[in-house]
Amino acid sequence: MTSEVLGRPGEKVVLLGNEAIARGAVEAGIGVAAAYPGTPSSEVPMVLASVADEVGFYFEYSTNEKVAFETAAGAAWCGVRAITAMKHFGLNVASDSVLPVVYTGVRSGLVVMVADDPSGWSSAQSEQDTRYYARLARMPMIEPSNPQECLDYTKLAFDISEEFEIPVFLRTTTKVSHSIGTVELGEIREPKTRGEFRKDPGRFYSIRPRLQELHGRVDDKLGRIEEKYGQRLNQVYPGEGNIGIIALGVGFEYCREGLLQLGLTTPIAKIGMTHPMSEEFITGFIEDKEAVLILEELEPIIEDFVKQVAKDVNPKLVVHGKDMLPRSGEYNLETILPVLGEVFGKKPEVDFKAHERQVREAERGLPPRKPVLCPGCPHRSTFYAVKEVFGDRAVYAGDIGCYILGIFEPIEMQDFVISMGASAGLAHGITRVSDQDVVVFMGDSTFFHSGLPPLVNYSFNAKRSPLVVVMDNAITAMTGHQPHPGSGFTGMGEKVKPVKIEDVIKGFGAKVRVVGAFNQRKLIEALEELREIEGPRVLVARGECRLLTRRRLKSKGIPIVKYVIDADQWKVHEDLEEIAEQFACPAFMQGEESGYYIDLDLCWGCGVCKQIFPVGVVEALRREAL
Amino acid sequence: MKFDVMLTGVGGEGVLTSGVVIARAANLEGHYVRGVQLHGLAQRGGVIPTFVRFGSEDEIHSPGIMQANADLILAFEPLEAVRACYYARKEKTIFVISDHRYIPVYSSILDIPYPKLGEITRRVIPFSKKVSVFSAHRLAKEKLGNMILGTTVLIGAATGMEALPLEEDNVRKAIETTVPGELEKNLEAFELGLKLGRSE
Repeated sequence: MTSEVLGRPGEKVVLLGNEAIARGAVEAGIGVAAAYPGTPSSEVPMVLASVADEVGFYFEYSTNEKVAFETAAGAAWCGVRAITAMKHFGLNVASDSVLPVVYTGVRSGLVVMVADDPSGWSSAQSEQDTRYYARLARMPMIEPSNPQECLDYTKLAFDISEEFEIPVFLRTTTKVSHSIGTVELGEIREPKTRGEFRKDPGRFYSIRPRLQELHGRVDDKLGRIEEKYGQRLNQVYPGEGNIGIIALGVGFEYCREGLLQLGLTTPIAKIGMTHPMSEEFITGFIEDKEAVLILEELEPIIEDFVKQVAKDVNPKLVVHGKDMLPRSGEYNLETILPVLGEVFGKKPEVDFKAHERQVREAERGLPPRKPVLCPGCPHRSTFYAVKEVFGDRAVYAGDIGCYILGIFEPIEMQDFVISMGASAGLAHGITRVSDQDVVVFMGDSTFFHSGLPPLVNYSFNAKRSPLVVVMDNAITAMTGHQPHPGSGFTGMGEKVKPVKIEDVIKGFGAKVRVVGAFNQRKLIEALEELREIEGPRVLVARGECRLLTRRRLKSKGIPIVKYVIDADQWKVHEDLEEIAEQFACPAFMQGEESGYYIDLDLCWGCGVCKQIFPVGVVEALRREAL
Repeated sequence: MKFDVMLTGVGGEGVLTSGVVIARAANLEGHYVRGVQLHGLAQRGGVIPTFVRFGSEDEIHSPGIMQANADLILAFEPLEAVRACYYARKEKTIFVISDHRYIPVYSSILDIPYPKLGEITRRVIPFSKKVSVFSAHRLAKEKLGNMILGTTVLIGAATGMEALPLEEDNVRKAIETTVPGELEKNLEAFELGLKLGRSE
């Protein structure tokens, strides 16, 4: 999508929160940006990648978040401003290096953008509250509420980082990253892209006795940041009454609108810096209040802090928060309005619960619509072949990628999904104690991200190892088609020699077969062959993401072969419905009377259906434009 | 002033892009704009509601629309119009629906039939001030040879019938900056929609 990220200073444009963060980084004059894609943060690197050449900074998609952070930190050590962006789980991967870099500090601004995902719109692991990382790492964290603040806070994060020589977290949640808003653009600072590593013995490692000294220095920095920015990033919106609201992030936006809806003018304290929390700011807000309501998604971090401060300055203060609001799930107006109503004795205009009951009634009996693998997806074909060979009884180890959609019926071939690369590690543990067949599904991007250590461990420790299927669609598809080492081009579009997955695995001493993912017969042959091997064995099922094939052919005006079902042939055979239902291609439509037909607008011509039905049932139709 | 639009349909249909067009048109008109776009896995054939809100900066803060508070619901797929009722109510909401059905695979897997169009409008009516159904996608396929342009036809229809209170020219300009690669066809689709809408 065309973005207006490179608009002129002073121009007002509509940007996504993530686009505004990218613009903020450009305005701050970054020289380096590095990331591994993870939604809800993905658009930050996507936009930076698209403008890097024009603006003149270096961009890369690194192999994982830890490598991306290290790339950015290395640049910041040399006096070049750098940013990395990741989703909350990405920070788990990067944390091993993030924590010590807080001790060593940086020479130039280093910003770590991290997006939490309450409600798990794009995350299947946990509702991790990254604000705890700021406390764990003793690293400053600031939090915007809307796209304009996304831009402004990104620049501010660079200033704080540079002034105090410490990396800074810029934290968002899904509804900050993925909300749009009017943004006024600022001046773009000329990027500084070259620097130098100046040796400074004792600074860039924290071995004893430097360890404690550096730790003390971090505490000192945090104290000074609290002093300088506590009043600037946290702000009181004055109002009437002795009940106050403390809010942050998108919760602040809901709060303001909710108060408007109820006709209230309650004072609000907006928290823009969640670490270090400013005791002085909180004291100033709560000392004359009877009660406060704290609107924070996920964990009661601010609530606990306020309770602690209140003990000294206003012990009678009533603190509401998680007693009235849930700890899990993101908030919205419907969560917050009734709570505001309860606290202030006002009734919302609409009875939400009664309305919702009517809606549920109207929706009753409708077919559900869940996300599905696209028409022509290579993963559908691979899943189908594996089930042909291993049936329902094998243990299917799942991982992070589009193939996570294999959780749902009718595929149901992701028995567990834990974290990037964990399919192989967990499968190894299972194989150590069980005789069950275990099949590991891992994507190509996941293979490079975190798949290597567990797979090399098979060669080291597993005479009998799980069968690994690398579903190689040549791209990081789920997050929006970012390249990885196997793709053959970089984040800035430069052509490079692709790293072949089979070459890497051969280096581990594993048996490898490479097969086209759209060829059922060859997939099955290879799986049957590998099934008989005990030691490390890998099938690389290779087939380009159909969205990319489609885009490429479409832009060149090249038509593809589409497929059609022969209605007479359909009637000749039995049980074809079952095959169609198991295959679950969105282009297959149930006919008015009996049987199925293929919707030609949805068929992307992979041709796998022709292979799985009896001969003559599905035929190639003609070449047709996509 | 405050105007709340919800766009709904199936991932890959152009719902996100349509939301960007409306947001940019509102920005050109001098409105303050807020909204939500959800990205990620849900796009793969799932439901993706997009919200666009525009008006005065003092009145709009939340990115999402409140339950029962949409002024306009643009449904690019009829079944999803029913599920959008959560954001609709009789006193307030206009539904503009394309009648192009995108049957979910779960309809056959779970053996739950896709309802007839009449059944869909019957369910939507109690939540709407007005319901307008257009054959936007069919028209796009027939006249322009590309079904996906149905989304732009539907935006045109909503503009033409003044259910979307934005100047035609601003919507055209927003289309220009949003889909420059497919500009001419999109502008044609928009004109087709305008005509449909004006005669509604």
